[in-house]
Amino acid sequence: MALVELVGITKSYELGRTVVHALNGVDLQVERGEFTVVMGPSGSGKTTLLNIIGCLDRATAGTFRFDGEELGDRDFNDLAEIRNRKIGFIFQSFNLIPVLNVTENIEFPCLIRGDPKKALRERVRQVAEEVGLGKFLAHKPDELSGGQRQRVAIARALVTQPQVVLADEPTANLDSGTSEQIIDLMLELNAKENVTFLFSTHDPRVMAHARRVVHIADGRLVDGTDSGRAEVAAVAGMGAR
Amino acid sequence: MGSLLQIAVRNVVRNVRRTAITLAALLLGVGVMVSIRGTLNGLQRSMKESMVLAQTGAVQVHKKGYLKNVLSSPLHLDMEVGDALVKRILAVPHVTAVAPRILFGGMVNLGDQTLFMATLALDPKREFEVCPKRRDLFDARAKAFGTSADGMVITVELAKGLGAKLTEPAALLAPDKDGALSGENATILGTMQLTSPGERKIGIVPLPLAQHLLKMEGRATELAIAVDDLENAPLVAAALERALGPEFEVHTWDNVATFFKDILFRQDFLLSLIATVFLVLMLLGVANTMLMSVLDRTREIGTMMALGVRRSRIVTLFLVEAAVIGVFGGCLGGLLGSIVVAWLHVRGIEVTMPTSAVPFVIQPFVDVLYIVKIVCLSGIGALVFAVYPAWRASRLRPVQALAGG
Repeated sequence: MALVELVGITKSYELGRTVVHALNGVDLQVERGEFTVVMGPSGSGKTTLLNIIGCLDRATAGTFRFDGEELGDRDFNDLAEIRNRKIGFIFQSFNLIPVLNVTENIEFPCLIRGDPKKALRERVRQVAEEVGLGKFLAHKPDELSGGQRQRVAIARALVTQPQVVLADEPTANLDSGTSEQIIDLMLELNAKENVTFLFSTHDPRVMAHARRVVHIADGRLVDGTDSGRAEVAAVAGMGAR
Repeated sequence: MGSLLQIAVRNVVRNVRRTAITLAALLLGVGVMVSIRGTLNGLQRSMKESMVLAQTGAVQVHKKGYLKNVLSSPLHLDMEVGDALVKRILAVPHVTAVAPRILFGGMVNLGDQTLFMATLALDPKREFEVCPKRRDLFDARAKAFGTSADGMVITVELAKGLGAKLTEPAALLAPDKDGALSGENATILGTMQLTSPGERKIGIVPLPLAQHLLKMEGRATELAIAVDDLENAPLVAAALERALGPEFEVHTWDNVATFFKDILFRQDFLLSLIATVFLVLMLLGVANTMLMSVLDRTREIGTMMALGVRRSRIVTLFLVEAAVIGVFGGCLGGLLGSIVVAWLHVRGIEVTMPTSAVPFVIQPFVDVLYIVKIVCLSGIGALVFAVYPAWRASRLRPVQALAGG
């Protein structure tokens, strides 16, 4: 059973009198442990696709199954719980909570679901070490570089041990060197921890690192561009890149 | 929840300038409210004291039905003021003095002028034990009241009406207890001020002179009673009712001077009105701050929603922030108001009421409970006024919030 399954997903917006079709019949399956990149130019529907998979937005039509469950009719609080327990997010602008330090930002999603703080601290420290932030635990976001902030976001996404991490253009605000490091880190986590990653980008440099690439244009997946799950499985089996 | 509280408190200090402006509004609003309440407390206490210690006494005893007919000054509802009655009254706990009085309508003649006057006959010795401040209302010559058998004191307004030299011999005329017109020679010693509104043509005469004039030797229509503490007046009134039995009626000072209650009510009402306006203005400031905060932090709200925070917790977050500002600002305002009130208490404020030329000093004071009430009101009000911004924040769609609204 695929972790994420989209069948005929359509998303339309009304902009004044115009109806914009952000997604137009998208079919996509993502298996556990995959490292999938959704490529496409600005406005192609990458973010909308990730928003629907991340339960941040609802499809206008089509079927969306996550972990075997159809989520189309779930209410806000149900979806909030699914996001909290099953999905990790990494955003282009890092989206850290500015009044919290690194430790507090990382532990935040766990505290929301009521994990006891004491038990959390060790896990937070471990995850922070894993993403190379061991020395910055008490720093506030504005005391960190862009790359460090994105590492905090990665740690925050991983700390809840989600089934999938969705990264929406995570390297767009980073220089090329830092982008490489962040992608390496995600690949490493994917290989070591078998974390499923699905991320969007329009940066061709990322292509070099991707194991499965899905192209999207004008709200549709471009036929024949999915590099395929067979290849993914083969690469994933090799461990780190 | 603890994490949200942490965020709420930190957010309050995050935008220092905005929080400072909101706190300043609360500080000023609550500070002014406490200061006004304190000043009004001082004014009302001074008014009470001047009423009780210069005019009414703390408690009054009359024959049953007297107060209902007080406008006609009914002389037939009188009582014998013997030692036995006075002793019974003095035996009641908290009673410190008793003074007999007669109230009657009469006329005063001076030269070729004769004017009606409401007359109060007082026992000079006992009266000043019950109303020691009454003498403060007398001019220098009137302070000799009680030293002569026929010396009387009249209000400034009455003296103006008589228009002649007050040292000329005067005559006091009144229907006696049986309704026959009676007269006595009198001397106008001096004048007095009044502190209360109402009848302005009043004369004070020695009790024995009035008793003789009215054929009421050894009798009075009213007993004014002093107590050790004004707070004990209702207690004393109840005890006196039990001690004296059904043929008498006992009233506390505020039931006698009913207009006074009305004045206090109007003052309190006005204060409440001012306080409400201040409160609403400062709470609108809080609402504005919270709305700005929601607009500023839309993306952050989206992030929280993405991480799994429920709508109810988003509401809680903003409500807590508002309550923290409300309570903290309220506390600062309460502190400022207390300092102002304490300073005014030490300094004193000299005022002259429009109804009197006699100035008196107000010493403002404020009850801690009032400050606590205002601080709570500030916190709860801030909470209520933050409901809309908080609700607005919680109704954002995650995807819309993440995009910055």
